[in-house]
Amino acid sequence: MNKLSYVKKAILTAACISLCVVLPMAFHAIPNAGNIYCPMHMPVLLCGLVCGWPFGLLCGVAGPLLSSLFTGMPPAAYLPSMIIELAAYGLTAGLVMRFVHTRKMMADLYISLTAALLAGRIVAGASRALTFASGSYSMEAWITGYFVTALPGLLIQLTLLPAVAFALEKARLIPVRYPRTAG
Amino acid sequence: MSFLPAGSYREGDSVLHKMDPFCKLLSAFLLLAAVILSNTFPGYGLAAGGLLAVILVSRLGLGTALSGVKRMRFFFCLILLMNMAFYETEQIWWKWWIFRFSGDGLVQGMQVVLRVAMAMVLGNLLVSATSPLELVGAMESLMYPLKFIGVPIRDVAMILGVAIQFIPAFSEEAEMIRRAQTARGARFESRRLTEKAKSIVPLVVPIFLAAFRRADELAIAMEARGYRRTKGKLGRRRRRLSPADAIGLLLCGLLCAAEAVL
Repeated sequence: MNKLSYVKKAILTAACISLCVVLPMAFHAIPNAGNIYCPMHMPVLLCGLVCGWPFGLLCGVAGPLLSSLFTGMPPAAYLPSMIIELAAYGLTAGLVMRFVHTRKMMADLYISLTAALLAGRIVAGASRALTFASGSYSMEAWITGYFVTALPGLLIQLTLLPAVAFALEKARLIPVRYPRTAG
Repeated sequence: MSFLPAGSYREGDSVLHKMDPFCKLLSAFLLLAAVILSNTFPGYGLAAGGLLAVILVSRLGLGTALSGVKRMRFFFCLILLMNMAFYETEQIWWKWWIFRFSGDGLVQGMQVVLRVAMAMVLGNLLVSATSPLELVGAMESLMYPLKFIGVPIRDVAMILGVAIQFIPAFSEEAEMIRRAQTARGARFESRRLTEKAKSIVPLVVPIFLAAFRRADELAIAMEARGYRRTKGKLGRRRRRLSPADAIGLLLCGLLCAAEAVL
């Protein structure tokens, strides 16, 4: 498998969107895990990394929307800011993964993930400061909310997502990014 | 995770079931706006009354409509307690350590819980009275204007449709994996963050692998049957608006306007 076909990208995106609904439900079994590990972020980031930015963007928009519709979480009041944050994750992960080629899969993954996690947090903070919580949102609140409280989640995502990507590559479910040439 | 309302369409011949899916989706958005806009007690009463009317019209029963809310009762209690204990106000009932219990906090908590619960009931009613295919068709119609900025709406609708169909299967699979890992000794309930993090890996990686494997099989089957990227005109034609559709839409619009005024 050299490249994902359009149909396969579309179906993998559908799988990631449904994981946006299912993973938070699975994490409910673990006390307080939803807040710490941000389970909805993982399928969106992975979708961006594997399928590219248009599909990552779609996953970021549709994932929280369907989850809110089916399970009531996130509540409607938080939905717009969450959609913007997740859409930025999917979009940036896909874009950076497309343009960064270090010849090392691990390096590509970490660069894309870090860029996406940073860009998503900046976009989410900006959207909150300018629209959703205009005037009452401070730099301290942004740093505390998106970096201090979410630190375990950030570390888990940075550890877990490359592991998932490698497991998928090994299982031949996604194409090998840098195939070994014979000889 | 059999309690998940996902994909739990319940067949019926009520007015809500027969309503045009596009109108139903629009009405749901209007009612959701009404729920979000409500911030006074008459407003909450009006929104709750509207929802009760929809439950009666749907003939789904109160149990079905409230199933999602019942599942989240502990979460709601937590929200209520947190608002009661941490709400910043002058009039405090009782103060202990960092907790400041107040009546204003209780009211604020009740408002948050009421809004989230009503939004959940609304989503549950929409999903229970609309088949996944109809829901996808309605989303496709709703996204129609995006076509003019180059968004492939048919593909997006197909992706959403497949995603909705995947939810029940994936939730069963996730529950099975969780039970299997618990049987193997995964300590999800541990208080230590490192142990918790370690227990996440054997849960998440197999869930992703199972989901991607299923998606891969479906993609291969679709390609083998000649599915290609859809282009051109929309194939599905929307039926004409019936008087019941128009009345339903109008009533939801009026309720939303009343909430804005209140």
